[in-house]
Amino acid sequence: MLAYSLKRILQLIVTTLGVVTLVFFTLRLIPGDAASAMAGDTLSGEALQRLREQMGLSRPLGEQYFSYLRGLLSFKLGETITTGLSISSLLLSAIPITLTIALATITLALSIAVPLGTMAAFMAHKGYRTLDNLITGAAMLADLMPSFWTALVFLLLFSLTLGIFPASGTISLEDPRAFLMRLALPVLVLSVTQIAAMARITRTAVLEVLSEDYIRTARSMGWSELQVLFRHALKNAALPIVTIVGLSFGSLLNGTVIVEFIFTIPGIGSLLVYGINSRDYQLVQTLIVFYALIFVTVNFVTDLVYKKLDPRVQF
Amino acid sequence: MTKMFLTLRKQHWAFPPEFHLPRLSLPHLNQKMIIALVILVPILLLTTFADWLPLQKPLQTNLRAIMQWPSHVHPFGTDRMGRDVLSRTLAGVQLSLVVGFSVAFIAMSFGLFFGTLAGLFGRAVDRAIMTVVDIFLAFPSLLLAIGLVSIVGTGLGPVVMAISLADVPRFIRLQRSLVLSLRSRAYIDAARTVNASQWWLMTRHIAPNTISPLLVAASIAAAHAILVEASLSFLGLGIMPPAPSLGNIIRDGQTYLEQAWWISTLPGVVILLIAISLHFLSDGIREALDPRARK
Repeated sequence: MLAYSLKRILQLIVTTLGVVTLVFFTLRLIPGDAASAMAGDTLSGEALQRLREQMGLSRPLGEQYFSYLRGLLSFKLGETITTGLSISSLLLSAIPITLTIALATITLALSIAVPLGTMAAFMAHKGYRTLDNLITGAAMLADLMPSFWTALVFLLLFSLTLGIFPASGTISLEDPRAFLMRLALPVLVLSVTQIAAMARITRTAVLEVLSEDYIRTARSMGWSELQVLFRHALKNAALPIVTIVGLSFGSLLNGTVIVEFIFTIPGIGSLLVYGINSRDYQLVQTLIVFYALIFVTVNFVTDLVYKKLDPRVQF
Repeated sequence: MTKMFLTLRKQHWAFPPEFHLPRLSLPHLNQKMIIALVILVPILLLTTFADWLPLQKPLQTNLRAIMQWPSHVHPFGTDRMGRDVLSRTLAGVQLSLVVGFSVAFIAMSFGLFFGTLAGLFGRAVDRAIMTVVDIFLAFPSLLLAIGLVSIVGTGLGPVVMAISLADVPRFIRLQRSLVLSLRSRAYIDAARTVNASQWWLMTRHIAPNTISPLLVAASIAAAHAILVEASLSFLGLGIMPPAPSLGNIIRDGQTYLEQAWWISTLPGVVILLIAISLHFLSDGIREALDPRARK
């Protein structure tokens, strides 16, 4: 386990370095350079040169790269060009919000999807196709709904028509109730897709386990159906479920960008859209790196959990 | 004598039996493909012949009929400038389909090429290709596309390029795993024993047998690309208004959600229908090609 973890950590470092390098050099490929792309036609000559110096673009490429790496390591990420705010402090206030949304979504989705998928598998196993078909059909539909569309429909339904959740308002931890109400709708929207993916995998995994010999043995030993289902079947189906939580984290991050945009939540997604629209490449570069970092870390943790759950797994 | 025997064998064995390319003639359509076609064909017909429909043109405004309810004149209602939402949606669908199929085609071609290279040659080639692939896979797909669009700019071409680039690594990985599993099959060994070249192996034995799983993945990729393009345009990073795209029509309607719900919701239903049909199509192809997938 230790050797494996070390190997994975090494891999993690290599991938992260690759990501940083790729993002850094890709952004240097912009026709002209970042400064002139940012300024458009508004600046010329000397002013443009000043901006270039301010952005550190007049230094040699290698020097820029290493100072960028140093900045990332010490979390000194410079200032945004447009507003002059420190990127590190922007990130520190935005990341907790995005992570709260993501973690709340995973918790909610798991607590709904696992029982739902298990039930569908049980029904399919017993030959009651109707309920199973209903759940699988709904899962497919939910999986394919574009999240921005779901968000608008939920907004229309839950806040504009029924008035349950607020559609806008400030977000701060000082008023926990308002904070929760404000984040409820985005979490619900993101959960729809996640529930679909997780329920489907749970169903397949449990269904497969249910035809194993040891399940028959458990039944013949007099365990009740519920005990068989939750103590034997679900436990052995845990592996694919853990995998899908890790894998779908990517689509979850994609989703956070969209819900943050729609519900005007000041997370990293909103920052990213703002950064791109204001052509603040410094900010965009850092945010993309952080997204990749979060995703890669989640995959790393998933692999470790996977290995812990099933020691037979060899990589 | 031995030599003659070998040449005989070569003629006999080095040519593979007719490989099983999808036989998709009508009797072979299964239930899932039919569902897919029932949804997809009318949408295709409507978008192709949109110009002949008795609808206002997508860009034509009519300030005397702004934000009108869906009616027989405007089946999807009108937007804040009195433009017909249905005709804009159809134009958007046309663009979506172009994006979806180009991305699927580009991603599949590159995936086929690099994945086969990585899987067949192994060692340094494999390591080099897979390192790059792993770095690309470290980005969630929409975010990678967003990042790329911020560099290559907005519009149809750049959007297709950005989404394809985000999809290619997935195809390379799939193709590589397919090639690896095929490489150790007995018929490949058989071909090797009669001196078949790498090129021959690649083009005659390996690539044809990976086409069907790639097609299955490609139709999912098309659906995914359509969703990503819509998301990009929705965020204002894809196709720029006034040119209609499903994403920017929905974004347009967002502001008037309370007064005119139809502007945003109805085009969304169309995206959903297309996505559903492409998924059924991929399931259908898989079932037609792999009898084991039938349950």
